[in-house]
Amino acid sequence: MAIIEVESLSYTYAESPQPSLIDINFKADSGEFILISGPSGCGKTTFCRALNGLIPNSYGGNFSGRVVVDGLVTTERPVSELSQRVGLVFQNPENELFCTTVEREVAFGPENLALSREEIEMRVGEALDIVGISHLKDKSPDELSGGEQQKVAIAALLTMKPKVLVLDEPTANLDPMSAKSVLKVLADLNSVGVTIVLVEHRLEMVSHLADRCVIFDSGRIVLDGPPQNVLYSDTAEHLGIGVPKAVLVAKAMRQRPELARWMPLTSRDLLRLLGGDQQ
Amino acid sequence: MISLKDVSYSYLPGRNALDRVTLNIGDGELVAIVGENGAGKTTLVKHINGLLKPSEGNVVVCGLDSMSVTVASLARKVGLVFQNPDHQLFAETVEKELSFALVNFGVPPDEIKKRTEWAMSEFELSQYAGRSPFMLSGGERKRLALASVLCYGPEVLILDEPTTGQDNRQKVRMASLLQKLNQQGKTVLVVTHDMEFVSDYIPRVVVMSQGKVIADGPSGEVLVKKDILEKASLVPPQLAEISWELGLDPPSISLDEVVARISRLPGGARP
Amino acid sequence: MKVFRGFEYRRGTTAIHTLDPRAKIVYLILFTALAVFYYNHFVLIAIFASSLPIVAIAKIFGKWSISIRGSFMFVGFIFIFNLLALYFMSGHTLEAAVLSSLSMAIRFICLISIFSTFFLTTSPEDMTQSMVQLKIPYDYALTFNMAMRFVPTLSKEAQYIMDAQKSRGLEMEKGNLVARVKNYIPVLIPLIISSFRRAELVADAMESRAFGASKKRTSIYKLRFDAKDAVFVLIAAVSFTALLSLRFLFSVL
Repeated sequence: MAIIEVESLSYTYAESPQPSLIDINFKADSGEFILISGPSGCGKTTFCRALNGLIPNSYGGNFSGRVVVDGLVTTERPVSELSQRVGLVFQNPENELFCTTVEREVAFGPENLALSREEIEMRVGEALDIVGISHLKDKSPDELSGGEQQKVAIAALLTMKPKVLVLDEPTANLDPMSAKSVLKVLADLNSVGVTIVLVEHRLEMVSHLADRCVIFDSGRIVLDGPPQNVLYSDTAEHLGIGVPKAVLVAKAMRQRPELARWMPLTSRDLLRLLGGDQQ
Repeated sequence: MISLKDVSYSYLPGRNALDRVTLNIGDGELVAIVGENGAGKTTLVKHINGLLKPSEGNVVVCGLDSMSVTVASLARKVGLVFQNPDHQLFAETVEKELSFALVNFGVPPDEIKKRTEWAMSEFELSQYAGRSPFMLSGGERKRLALASVLCYGPEVLILDEPTTGQDNRQKVRMASLLQKLNQQGKTVLVVTHDMEFVSDYIPRVVVMSQGKVIADGPSGEVLVKKDILEKASLVPPQLAEISWELGLDPPSISLDEVVARISRLPGGARP
Repeated sequence: MKVFRGFEYRRGTTAIHTLDPRAKIVYLILFTALAVFYYNHFVLIAIFASSLPIVAIAKIFGKWSISIRGSFMFVGFIFIFNLLALYFMSGHTLEAAVLSSLSMAIRFICLISIFSTFFLTTSPEDMTQSMVQLKIPYDYALTFNMAMRFVPTLSKEAQYIMDAQKSRGLEMEKGNLVARVKNYIPVLIPLIISSFRRAELVADAMESRAFGASKKRTSIYKLRFDAKDAVFVLIAAVSFTALLSLRFLFSVL
């Protein structure tokens, strides 16, 4: 059952001479984990904003095509309504967190929805628990590390109970350890049914978690399929995407028949392929 | 050329951001400084260009003792490019932005003109000469920030997290630029937590943890040592993990070597 | 830049931190009024002293003293300016001018102390919430909240920017007054531009959490005025009255 449907989406920002998105067609089923990548400036961020309605509702510009999330057409509904179905997490937590304690930050969303105090407290407690940061409840966001801050941002969106979580390079400003920690939270959320659309460059950390990999280039989708197919493709190589090293190793050993059939994404995959003779 | 001897420094009393660090970097080296957040990497490099002065120990850079010269005079020799270009761009035009440091250093006008023109062509910014820096894209602003430091020709170049938020192609370009500068004789230091970038392109690595240097040597040797990486809370380079997972001996961070060693695995030598 | 830290709220669990902000606002208004009203040096010093027990209970001595110390430059300026104005332009005697300027200076320190104590112990959310409960429209209250919340971010950024520009040879301590002011441009411009950029991003983040979804807005907290707050307000009111009586009963001004 499709939870996101994008048809022939094209978009140009108000002051821009060129379109940022050209004829995008995209579908996401409920519960999928979709990885989006591509060179800088290819339209990934614009696409994320189109999924929760910031584009075109807040950004104006030239919008054509259709985006439907959880049955709602984004051009016909306000962002405040769409953001209850699709949560959007940004790159830099410093610009996402604007309250003085984690608890207040996470409560901001439900407060906007004018929920009762009891309901708000319950949702806040739940969200902090799911993300594993209940112990940080009373801390100020600027006392936290980057990774913790991003987890707060995720919790702050979970209180809206969205069906889809869209994250635009959430680990860009994090060190690798924190990145891994945040990505684990996403994997956990996906395992309980939250649809995840993740824009990420660190493919080696996530490609094995994704059901599908979508590559953007110059405003268009150029690849869309299972991670193995996408990352082993010539297009991926040509675009210079940072494919996992396991892929490069396997590609360099192409003469081995089992490596053509199976396409390892991680070192564990490689071990399974090479370690055991018997399949 | 860069020498730190028993350098200690603390921002707050009781907590040493740098704890008796001794480090020597020779002319023309290309070195990565790695460690988790808070390990002291940025504090360390700020001592090298004089922004910070050690509370103990001494720092000598290009023959100058950092305690006895101003930041400006040391900055003349040591170019430090910070992570966020938006923390430095302020001028009306790209050309003025490039000439800012040169003007500060009192370089004569015709020399300034020559150097800014060189920088613009070298970094493909010539068509933006009269434009406002804020009109450039993210990647172009990063190039401009780097260009404005290289413009005044420092002997040492330090980059703080140059690969954050960059896609693979940009990283490859950054790497070849660093290698080119290094070949031209500049000493280049890269502060980063991007272990892939270090293992792919940087020959020497200094690992910091909690204000101390815990390892210093060729990347191929240091980045395959599990205990050091764990102690510094670093995620190992992918090829190191692959090496360990497959039991390659010795482990390697070079793609060619890993592939070669896999082919030589017992039971792995299949047709 | 450092003087900002004397006004930055930090979480605390002291009795003062947990007071209802409206009680603290009462103190703020009453004592600011007194400080503006009186000229007598001893009364002004007494007004200044009224904030000391609060500072002690709230354990904010370190931060509070930063704001006091940071204000010395302004205080000096105020003193000299008033002295010159009163002596040379208004024709007061030297003694009168000195005394009057001294009043101005002490008054300024009083105000800094009172405001610093208030801001150090009251969270932006509490201030916003009290504004809302006082029926000020939420949008205005939120604007105020944001401004407060980002002060520490701005001062951190200012530091990064100064580091970057110093590394390009900018010397901020050298030169005459004109040169020094000019040297702030490479610091202010990135700061301002960055703030504009940040404003857009924060707006996106807020909208993505349904800001504006409903005209009404609930809050996870409700400010509750309890016995402790009543006691505080009572003490403030009694002190206020006592100090005010100096004027009316003893003709002190």
